[in-house]
Amino acid sequence: MDWQVVLNNSSLLARGLTTSLELTLFAIAASLPVGCLLAIGRLSKQRWLSLFCASFVNVMRSNPLVLVLFWLIFLVPLIIGHRVPNLAAVSVAFVVFFSVYFSEIVRSGIQSVGRMQISAGLSTGLTRGQTMRHIVLPQAVRAMLPALTTQCIVVFQGSTVAYVVGYDELLHSSSMIAERTGRPVELYIATAAIYFLVSLAGSLLARRFETKRSRA
Amino acid sequence: MTAPIIQVRDVVLRYGDFTALDRVSLDVFEGEVIVVCGPSGSGKSTLLRCLNGLETFQEGEVIVDGENVATCRNLPALRRRIGMVFQHFELYPHMTVLQNLTLAPIKAQGLPRAEAERLAMDYLTRVGIADQAGKYPGLLSGGQQQRAAIARALTLQPRLMLFDEPTSALDPEMIFEVLQVMKNLAVLGMTMVVVTHEMGFAQEVADRVVFMDRGAVIETAPSAEFFASPKTPRARAFLKRILRIG
Ligand SMILES: Nc1ncnc2c1ncn2[C@@H]1O[C@H](COP(=O)(O)OP(=O)(O)OP(=O)(O)O)[C@@H](O)[C@H]1O
Ligand SMILES: [Mg+2]
Repeated sequence: MDWQVVLNNSSLLARGLTTSLELTLFAIAASLPVGCLLAIGRLSKQRWLSLFCASFVNVMRSNPLVLVLFWLIFLVPLIIGHRVPNLAAVSVAFVVFFSVYFSEIVRSGIQSVGRMQISAGLSTGLTRGQTMRHIVLPQAVRAMLPALTTQCIVVFQGSTVAYVVGYDELLHSSSMIAERTGRPVELYIATAAIYFLVSLAGSLLARRFETKRSRA
Repeated sequence: MTAPIIQVRDVVLRYGDFTALDRVSLDVFEGEVIVVCGPSGSGKSTLLRCLNGLETFQEGEVIVDGENVATCRNLPALRRRIGMVFQHFELYPHMTVLQNLTLAPIKAQGLPRAEAERLAMDYLTRVGIADQAGKYPGLLSGGQQQRAAIARALTLQPRLMLFDEPTSALDPEMIFEVLQVMKNLAVLGMTMVVVTHEMGFAQEVADRVVFMDRGAVIETAPSAEFFASPKTPRARAFLKRILRIG
């Protein structure tokens, strides 16, 4: 083994990691709000709205992320008549795919707050909005945090899918370096270590939320 | 005689085909303590929730403290005058006891924090748990939690109080302390509507007993009369059952 090759290319790997983290942050920032909307839609009393959101969630959940990306790259151009830019395809795939998972987490978080808590808030003269804001949402967010953090790790790992369209995220960078230097073993071990460390940091964070919650 | 503080007139409430309240009428006068009892599913909770507009009914009218609940433009303001206590306390687990008490006074009533806290501490002292103010509800015993919930309702200085089975979720040794707080309230002249199966409390504290069955008020009688000789067979059967197990 020759670890020098990893050190020599560390700046390229770092750039790959940065791109991966950017993709992850973007995917979370874009799909979490959409997930909230989907969750609220599913909990809505309007039957058609909740049915629509539920169907969307169930259809999307049955597809692997790569397949969603393939749709955008191969199928959608047939429909709209020109190719979808890579960045757009990756972005849309991430939002469509991950918002579904976020919506399930948000939905169960909101549902975990007892209905009588709302009655309690209203009975003291708080408005519906105040009851949501001060009573339901803080409890829902606390209930969601561990699952949300775990899902963020999944998003980070899922960001490797951008590789398919040649996006320079971490895995793509390291595979290019591996090809150029003829040292795939060292590079993939190093890459695995980086993914491991980032994921570990994430799950430690999730664990912290978990213990905080059980103490409260 | 002054007008009743609560007037319920022929209220009908349906959930789909199911009639939860079947032409219920009830007058409660200021300072009265009313105990509502009846079998499970008879509509006791539903009736209480109609009184502060948590439930919407299809027919009849409810007038509380001079306001028609169904057409009230400012329900939050009306609800502040109606304290409510729940079977499972419903304290907010993410806030300290003190924050539980001051949330509505600050956000709904617009009191300055210091003023709200002073008031809250005053009521926590009255229910005997001032020393628990800084704790989270989860760390309190059931009896302490229910007393905190009562204090939370009182901090809004309501004109009347609604209790929905306030002791049913408590271990026997904690029932006493909660009933004691309720008795003190009654002695101070608070108007109270109490859903409970604590017949000792009803006999000792209630002015009148309302017996409900299958969504209807079957019998309303002064407490002593109700316990001495319930008029309807259903009330008689119910009393027999509950006094034997209770
Ligand atoms: N949201 C709802 N939808 C449909 N039915 C309901 C709803 N809420 C209550 N009910 C029904 O209305 C009836 C009266 O309920 P309610 O909770 O008022 O009874 P209760 O007298 O308080 O009983 P318990 O002693 O068990 O608390 C019950 O049969 C209940 O199943
Ligand atoms: Mg009930």
